[in-house]
Amino acid sequence: MGNSILQVTNLQKEYIGEITYKALNGIDFQLGENEFVAVMGPSGSGKTTFLNSVSTIDRPTIGEILINGRNPYSLDDEELAKFRRSELGFVFQDFNLVHTLTVKENILLPLTLDSLPADKMQQRLQHVSQFLGIEELLSKRIYEISGGQKQRVAIARAVIHEPSLLLADEPTGNLDSKAVNDVMNLFSSIHTELKTSILMVTHDPYVASFANRIIFIKDGKLYNEIHRGHNRKQFYQEIMDTLAFLGGGQHEL
Amino acid sequence: MSFNHIVIQNILRDKWTYVSYFLSSMFSIIIFFLFTVIVFHPSLAGLDPDSTLGLALMLASLLVYLFSFIYIAYSIMAFLKKKTKTLGIFMITGASMKQIRTLVFRENILIGVLAIITAIVLGLVISPLFLMGAKVVLNAEAFGMYFPIKAIMITIGLFLVLFVAISKVMTKFINKEASIQLLKSDVVIEKSIKPHYLLLFFSIIITLGLGYFLKIEHDIVGSLGLLFYAAFFLSVLCTIYLIISQGMRFTLKAFERSSAYMKQTNMLLASNLNAKMKSHANILFLITILLSGVFLCTSILFSSYYNVEKDSEANYPYSFQYIATPKADPSMVKADIKKIEEQLSTVDSQKYFIEFKSNEDHRLGYMSVSDYNLLHNEKISLGANEFIAVAGNHKTIPITNVSNDKYLKQFKLVYVNEKNLLTTGFQQTYFIVPDEVYNSIKYPVYKTYLFELDNWTAHTELAKKIIEDFPHIYEERYVTSKIELYDAEMFTKSVMFFIGSMLSLIFLSAAMSILYFYLQTTLLQEKEKYVGIRKLGLSKKELFTVVSKELAILIFVPFAIATTMLFATLFAMRTMVSTSFLQVSMMSSLCFFVLFFVSYIFIRKSYFKRLLSN
Repeated sequence: MGNSILQVTNLQKEYIGEITYKALNGIDFQLGENEFVAVMGPSGSGKTTFLNSVSTIDRPTIGEILINGRNPYSLDDEELAKFRRSELGFVFQDFNLVHTLTVKENILLPLTLDSLPADKMQQRLQHVSQFLGIEELLSKRIYEISGGQKQRVAIARAVIHEPSLLLADEPTGNLDSKAVNDVMNLFSSIHTELKTSILMVTHDPYVASFANRIIFIKDGKLYNEIHRGHNRKQFYQEIMDTLAFLGGGQHEL
Repeated sequence: MSFNHIVIQNILRDKWTYVSYFLSSMFSIIIFFLFTVIVFHPSLAGLDPDSTLGLALMLASLLVYLFSFIYIAYSIMAFLKKKTKTLGIFMITGASMKQIRTLVFRENILIGVLAIITAIVLGLVISPLFLMGAKVVLNAEAFGMYFPIKAIMITIGLFLVLFVAISKVMTKFINKEASIQLLKSDVVIEKSIKPHYLLLFFSIIITLGLGYFLKIEHDIVGSLGLLFYAAFFLSVLCTIYLIISQGMRFTLKAFERSSAYMKQTNMLLASNLNAKMKSHANILFLITILLSGVFLCTSILFSSYYNVEKDSEANYPYSFQYIATPKADPSMVKADIKKIEEQLSTVDSQKYFIEFKSNEDHRLGYMSVSDYNLLHNEKISLGANEFIAVAGNHKTIPITNVSNDKYLKQFKLVYVNEKNLLTTGFQQTYFIVPDEVYNSIKYPVYKTYLFELDNWTAHTELAKKIIEDFPHIYEERYVTSKIELYDAEMFTKSVMFFIGSMLSLIFLSAAMSILYFYLQTTLLQEKEKYVGIRKLGLSKKELFTVVSKELAILIFVPFAIATTMLFATLFAMRTMVSTSFLQVSMMSSLCFFVLFFVSYIFIRKSYFKRLLSN
């Protein structure tokens, strides 16, 4: 497994309102270098809260998160922004691309914020766009490309700065089945070829079957964890079985 | 469920869109209403509609109405844009274009009527305060509160017409394709501005040409009259629009190619401007025009206000001037002068009793050098055949050619005094001649009694009384007073000043509220965008930089263009206006800059806060 990229200790998150609601109730988790982990669980189980806590978007109530040995919540706003765009890559369900920018500009956005030299930017852009097969899209505007293409662009943006951890929140939620396959194959190749660690939240067992390891969250707690062998079909069956135990999982399909 | 039910529900369910539209309409109606309250005030009832003041008031109300028209039309446009998606849904579910138009029309009328009623009620509440302000500024005791039935009727009538007209016209602009397009995707993609550099070039040439004509070729301007000014105005507007839009396009394209584009937040800023190039250009244009209106208004009015004392003195040099013609009865003159002296006994004053002879056919006056010396407190001595020419009219150079003059044919001009000697226009020119020559002149004698008061602007009551007591008697006595002129001018100028500051205030707040609504309509989109970018790693500080720069462009570019235009105009007119005008313009620009800077800080803070809020 090697060194751990992400170390989560006793993570708790409470939403304080008229009725205080505990979304996460003590999660311990480790993500090793070059690991691809999917997070599953019924809706309301806390999987998105978990990802948001790791994403440094949602501050946990109790517990510690270390990414590459650093605690992002001890940073101020500016340092945190820098940390995000150097250590983390994000892929969202709704792509989160900036409409006013072209495809190329969207991909380069994290780099421009750090004012990288132009030749270096160009070099990385070429590398990433070749890798993801989006070279012919570069000069297009966001509204001109399809959903699957949008997600590819978003992935390109997420990996162009070579993050140590790629975080994905339902990356296939808005895609048709062909695009789902394309995007998930990209995740696999990012994992195997770029050696990037990936943490992905999904409710789709097929999508989850691309990961090496799946953790299941229920009622804010770690419920179960399964590892993939060599056969993805078998792994898929295993996921379905676990979901059946968990209850509620299939209904979301 | 009736159609009207849908109309009402459509409004109630989407309150906030309508509220901003309602408020902006109400705002312009209140302004108009308050203005008409002043115009139809009973104490102005005696005002001659053809006088400067009457014309100014008429023109100003016209301007306010015109402005309301544009402003409301703009609000409706912005509002329709926001509603396009809803309208698209109606169309998809099978409403015909006619029904959609009826729906929009009825909505607008409903809001319009509500806005009119609210504006009048609010206006009635504010008007006592407003009239009190007017009373202070105009220095008129008579500006009391009254029930402005006429103003109410006119406001209701005019704005009902306006709303019906605008709604009817605007519903024609509902675009079926655009509405349905919006259903497919939430994002409206603006077409970017096309390059029109040739057009820009020609429009600049035409404007400069017309401007040059205005300054040089008075004959052509005179013969075309209003048409010329309209053409000039139009070409100026076109040029400004083209300069703004093409300039923006050019700058952005150049910036995109520069190496700075990919540095830090520059790309975000430029792409923001790029994506909204057209609407940004429109907003910049609107604000620039409004600001230019404000700047010109204030500069002209402030400076005219500033010069009243000097102008009155230049026209009527003395506090009181009593001229008795040869036909006047000497005993009446004696009694008059005695009475005036009695009335002036309580104040410090100097008296000068002089005379001049007049060539009545040519309205040329002759005065002895000793009388001239007495008036000017000087000790000039003239040679036997020398004379001085002194102006008889304000701003008219005195006649110096005396070759046809009966007495002065052989005389030599030694000095020209361009400051008029007595009340402007009484004689064309006064020739100052040696005493012996004066005595030999055989023209009728005009006895002139002059009184000069210390601190003269303070004696308006006295002046009014004396002018009332001694009216002109044709061809016998002429009594004039600079104090009375000053008082009358002062009133006109204060009313103008009041109107001007009202207009500036209106334009200024309009500029700011247009900006506010503009930001408001795009806020949600922007917020969504920035939430996304923030997740990727954009710090608050970086976001603040982008927002600051974008707002600064929206606020200070129009300011810079308007100021440049103001000073260009002043420069072109530098021979016609005094330096005090320039000073006043500088001061007012500076004040506006401070005002703008404060609003910039304020708008930026609240906009930034709202961008970050959930």
